[in-house]
Amino acid sequence: MLQVVSNSFLRKIFGAQDHPDTLINVLRSGHAIALRFSRKGDYLASGRVDGKLVIWDMQTMSVALKMHGHFKQVQSISWSRCGRYILSAAQDWRAILWDLADASRVRIVKFQAPCYMAELHPYNHNLFICALFEDTPFLVDITNAKPVKRVLPSNPLMDNSLSSKDGKHTTCAAIFSLHGNHILTGTNKGYINIIETETRTIIHSAKISSGLITLLRLSSNGRSLLVNSTDRIIRVIHLPDLTQIRPSNAVPNQDEDTDPGTVAENITLSVEHKFQDLVNRLRWNHTTFSHSSSNSSSDYVTASTYMKKDIYIWELSTNSLLRILENSEEPAIIEWHPSRPLIATTGIETGGIQFWGIEPQQKWSALAPDFAEVEENVEYTEREDEFDEYPEEERTKRRLDREDEEVDIFTIEPTKADEEEAFVLPVIIGVDQESDDDDELVPTGVGTMRKKEANEGREWEESVEPAVVARRRAR
Amino acid sequence: MDIDSPAPKRRRTSSHSSTASSRDLSPNRPRSSHNSSFEPRRAYQGRESSRSTSRSGSEEPDRGRRSWQTHDALRGRRESRENRENTSSDGGTPRSRSSSPDSLPRRPLPLLTPTPPPTSSKHLKFKPIPDGTLRSHARGITCIRFSPSGEYLASSSADATINIHSTTHPFPLLKTLTGHLAGINVLAWSPDSRTIASGSDDKSIRLWDVASGKAHRVPLLGHHNYVYSLAFSPKGNMLVSGSYDEAVFLWDIRPTGGNIMRSLPAHSDPVSGVDFIRDGTMVCSCAGDGLIRIWDTMTGQCLKTLVDEDRKPVASVRWTANGKFVLAWTLDGCVRLWDYREGRCVKTYQGHVNTQYSLSGTMGQYALAGRREAFVASGSEDGEVLAWDVSTKEVLWRAKGHSKVVLGLDFQRGKDGKGMLVSAGLDRTIRFWEECDEVDDTDEPPGLVNGDSYVDAPDENIKRLRLNEREDEVMEELELKTEPEET
Repeated sequence: MLQVVSNSFLRKIFGAQDHPDTLINVLRSGHAIALRFSRKGDYLASGRVDGKLVIWDMQTMSVALKMHGHFKQVQSISWSRCGRYILSAAQDWRAILWDLADASRVRIVKFQAPCYMAELHPYNHNLFICALFEDTPFLVDITNAKPVKRVLPSNPLMDNSLSSKDGKHTTCAAIFSLHGNHILTGTNKGYINIIETETRTIIHSAKISSGLITLLRLSSNGRSLLVNSTDRIIRVIHLPDLTQIRPSNAVPNQDEDTDPGTVAENITLSVEHKFQDLVNRLRWNHTTFSHSSSNSSSDYVTASTYMKKDIYIWELSTNSLLRILENSEEPAIIEWHPSRPLIATTGIETGGIQFWGIEPQQKWSALAPDFAEVEENVEYTEREDEFDEYPEEERTKRRLDREDEEVDIFTIEPTKADEEEAFVLPVIIGVDQESDDDDELVPTGVGTMRKKEANEGREWEESVEPAVVARRRAR
Repeated sequence: MDIDSPAPKRRRTSSHSSTASSRDLSPNRPRSSHNSSFEPRRAYQGRESSRSTSRSGSEEPDRGRRSWQTHDALRGRRESRENRENTSSDGGTPRSRSSSPDSLPRRPLPLLTPTPPPTSSKHLKFKPIPDGTLRSHARGITCIRFSPSGEYLASSSADATINIHSTTHPFPLLKTLTGHLAGINVLAWSPDSRTIASGSDDKSIRLWDVASGKAHRVPLLGHHNYVYSLAFSPKGNMLVSGSYDEAVFLWDIRPTGGNIMRSLPAHSDPVSGVDFIRDGTMVCSCAGDGLIRIWDTMTGQCLKTLVDEDRKPVASVRWTANGKFVLAWTLDGCVRLWDYREGRCVKTYQGHVNTQYSLSGTMGQYALAGRREAFVASGSEDGEVLAWDVSTKEVLWRAKGHSKVVLGLDFQRGKDGKGMLVSAGLDRTIRFWEECDEVDDTDEPPGLVNGDSYVDAPDENIKRLRLNEREDEVMEELELKTEPEET
């Protein structure tokens, strides 16, 4: 409860504004190319061009952990619900599940093509989906050391004439539904497929866009789907409650009437919002929902665009552009903190991570408790007994007698946030010395530096699992 | 003599008289205390109270030893003091204090609880653990803390070392951490129990690896004066420190040598206490200027300031376990529980002596008829250890074990559910107390004071909160200094 208590306390103090408007921080570790906040928002993972993963502590805004495993650019990062595991997918055709407790690689899964993205099941960190470059997507079970890859369908559920006309589909984006019972995929022909996780069959398809679907995002309540597509429109799609959909392999109950809402055939996907720049015909690079407010639905959508340094923020309730933030460099990946008005973006040029937030204003009344901030002059009305003088003794006694309430100094009312993510990253003191690798230059003596050799500092690659090495040798 | 039931009428001390009592020069007091197992409890007698209790004192069994000092002596002292004050004001010394010369700090607060029933409905009692007295430090002990894992007990001392003891009987000394160049004021355990942070008079904060007993190579430097208070964030990634340089720093401890994330423009007097709330979103700090401030960790904004009407110097501060309240020790001999959101003092605990030192204490839970009740425990400058019920404010238990100021106190409940209290102070001993059940309620006297008296008194200033030399305080200080000679 405390999180909530204190946050509501903080919110009351900081006022109502809930979208970022100022550049508050820039962090750098290598060239960041992928970003993801943990579910609770206390850590941020960034993937780098050189394949390294960096975990940032959002409280200290500093590097908490660096992990070496990929040797090409990281494409996507996904956090487990507990916050202990993360899955990274990279252009080196591999996806790696990491245990942050000791920075070890739990599983390494190799594919036949570079990964677009991979996402962990929301409740099972041994199950993930992976969309590959010009290959079929997979549902991968990594419970055992040997991963079980199952192909997911890409071709939409349509009458044959239509799908044959469209030609072969490939899946470009895939995410799990809120509870992981379904998988939502987007294809290169602008279709959205809803796939049942258990049977891996498509239960619904809809053509949303004329272009390729590059990105799917789910709001935190699972009922809104954010779709970015190459047709220069960002769409917000209203999803039905997928948990209500009857499993396709369930025995149909003849006796009672089935609720039409539970039948997969009745699913309709309706586009609620469309955001686009009609004048400049901007192409959107990356987009994301804002943090969810009290009613657990997001209020804003933010996006980065190609060739411009601007960050766009739209307000969903008014369906209109709220703000354009002028960044110092062109932003690529853009992520919104899950619980705070804070945006993190990667810069295309420098690979730094920019943070946009709200510049706090010190309330002066907080510094002096007997001061109150008023909007305008107020005529002061004196309390009846305000200047009455009582003997010191009596006053204190009265005060002490008033302290008769029951107080509870131990009970912690549990919150969602508390139960969801208990994992705390171990603190490594001197983390900056352990990994030296950010600089291209290495000191060789007093005042002299030399450029790092191509494979220097990559000794870890040799420590890749023996099986992988053996396979690589065999090839 | 039932020393466990709270005295029915107990007055807070006036800072004045107890200050005098802490100095051995007072003629009303035996030169050495070691021949008496009970220290004179001058501290409990305010002026008015001494008059009234000495009249009715004979009816109260435990008054006997407490009103050891004749009230005439007290009154005499008081009069001489007042005379002096009068002469000083007559002499035209400019005084910033406009109120009566004997202003607030010296006025005893009235009784806080209505006379409690003779047999307390709530029960909490500790008894000293046999052989549970450790003497491993060469100078006064400033801070004592159980590790979060419960395995270890760390104590910091003015002898510039930290000792780590095991918490299983007979509490062997496991490690001594050496490296600080001056006395250590405070220590804090990281939540994983693998690191200890310590703040010292050498102005540095050091991080110690508990397993190896070695300090991390580079200390955390930045404070310009003694580091006086410290706390780890609940995730162990940050430290908050308060110093005599009046600043509060938030440290990111991951980089070598730490990184000052924020420097909070906190106070106008030495920062005597700091603490992190349990989710790490807020920090509280307190200082000799009488303010308790609540800060937002992320932004470094001051969110709230808690201040008592009298603005007594605040000696230390802690969040409660659920983060809803702030517990603060003030130098008027009170421990106050604040509802920080409303900025209101909800409870005042009295009964101990606290006029100069940064006492601190702990909170714990005890069972009462199947219900879990909470208690607050604190040390006292007369060597006592006290525990109050959180809600009723009554003193549940008090015992004397130490011969000098009790600065550190910690409580933990073992795996067997047995409560263990540990206290330490300027008499250089660590004492273990165990919770005892109602049944084995023996009337044996609690921890005996054995002759731990030191002829040399270099420890006098350890953890003594010295305030800025503002005019009125300078005056106060002067009075305190000159007073023994006068009487």
